[in-house]
Amino acid sequence: MSSVLIIAKTTMLENARKQVFHVVTLLTLTVVCASVLLSVFTLGVQVKILKDLCMTSILFCGGILAVALASTALPSEIETRTCYPVLARPITRTQHILGKYLGTISTVYLGLAVIGIAFAVLLAARGALDGLLILALVYALLEVALVAAVAFCLSVFSTPAVAVMISLLVFIAGSVKIGYFSHLVNGISNPVIKGAGLFIYHLIPNLESFNFKDALVHQLPVPEAYLAQVAIYGVCYTAFMLTVATAAFAKKEL
Amino acid sequence: MQPIISITNLTKVYKLKRGGRKTAVDSLTFEVRPGEIFGFLGPNGAGKTTTIKMLLGFIQPTAGSAEISGISVENPQARINVGYLPEQPYFYKFMTPREIVAMHSSLAGVPRQDRRTQIEQVIELVGLGELASTPISKLSKGQVQRVGLAQSLVGNPQVLILDEPASGLDPLGRRQIRDLLISQRETGKTIFLSSHLLSEIETVCDRVAVLAKGKLMAIGTPEEIKQGGTRTTVTTTELTPEIMSEIKAAGGTTHRIEGETVITINTDEVFTVIDSLRKAGLPLLAVTPEQESLEEAFLRLAA
Repeated sequence: MSSVLIIAKTTMLENARKQVFHVVTLLTLTVVCASVLLSVFTLGVQVKILKDLCMTSILFCGGILAVALASTALPSEIETRTCYPVLARPITRTQHILGKYLGTISTVYLGLAVIGIAFAVLLAARGALDGLLILALVYALLEVALVAAVAFCLSVFSTPAVAVMISLLVFIAGSVKIGYFSHLVNGISNPVIKGAGLFIYHLIPNLESFNFKDALVHQLPVPEAYLAQVAIYGVCYTAFMLTVATAAFAKKEL
Repeated sequence: MQPIISITNLTKVYKLKRGGRKTAVDSLTFEVRPGEIFGFLGPNGAGKTTTIKMLLGFIQPTAGSAEISGISVENPQARINVGYLPEQPYFYKFMTPREIVAMHSSLAGVPRQDRRTQIEQVIELVGLGELASTPISKLSKGQVQRVGLAQSLVGNPQVLILDEPASGLDPLGRRQIRDLLISQRETGKTIFLSSHLLSEIETVCDRVAVLAKGKLMAIGTPEEIKQGGTRTTVTTTELTPEIMSEIKAAGGTTHRIEGETVITINTDEVFTVIDSLRKAGLPLLAVTPEQESLEEAFLRLAA
């Protein structure tokens, strides 16, 4: 376990120095802070607008960072050959991939923590801080972990550029899956194309289920059973992606 | 004596695009004994790095097996006592030599209470004392090479696998590395040394393996490798065409220097040549045994 943590720590330190991390985090932070100004023009629903804008920004920032960092973590290490001295140590490929994954999501979480704190401060200033915010943020972190696992898995099989592109598509499709994609698939008349569409539909992670923005904005109650179901779904999907990534990486020739 | 590294029929075949195949390592079999410096020689593309990669589990062999300390290299535990220096090592540029060595000391399982001492020891050993806190991005190629060597030494591994350790170093640095390798052997370590620097290999290695096109061409002490090709030069005046053909048939070569003809031939064939010269009435000006250098042996074996 200590080897995993050492690799995770190094990965986090490396990722936290990447330009993409700074740019995306600062941009999102700017949007979150600027949303205060926007909400001024919406009399009566300032807090709702603030919550809506901030949660959307956090989910978007998390997804982009997860894709950008996770898609490149392993390939760049193989390309720069920094993995050779590490893998020459008595560690397994599974430990290495877990370390890289943990380091990557820790970096994304670091960025989200900064934004989340700013969001919480803005809400607290308006006396609108409640437990639902924590719930929404926790499930946003779970979504980020899932997206990162998908990007990680794809990066083992393809080049970083392809992994970034496919992961972004998965992130976008997963975020609008129920709202748009299901209507699109159900509208297909050809049974073969519809079957293929349904297969892709079920393969794509349902990221919408992690989005509790509406519950936060409109103060809607969320059933505990549903929360548990979503959490289990997220953990299982992430574990499956990491298992596939580990199995493929174990056979990968370096 | 139980070998520390044992390689048996190790083969690696790469599948190329369009269905082609390339044999990078072909049925390689040899052993490395404990406490020796074992030189691993071969021209570019001979299969040296591929063999090292299979030893460290980076790539899977197509056939055959390899063991380190009696443990199959497929098992990560085989690397528990191994320090590895890759050819042209790369490290995280934001880290300092001390941080890199510290990271590797943790990965190597050095007890927490011994880490600080060991880290400082290896940093001093490779001559990086003053640069220990300088980020890698600010170090020269030779200094990064020293960092690589330091990380391979941390944890006091009994087997060192070094791929071109003197790469990027100036003559003084090479000398320091050579002395370091000798001092490491004196502490009982086994060193598997892949290098292009034949003088380096000849000076420090107890035994040498020469690889060409993935095949083992020769193995033994540097003297044994060189003895296999011991030649003798015979100096005379002008040669007749008949004697020239006899020499060529015996695998010899001739060249003219300042009016004299120098015949280079395998030592076994010297008396045949001398008899021929005597029969033709040609003078025998000199007979000189020619000791093949390791470089010549390498070129002969690798050709």
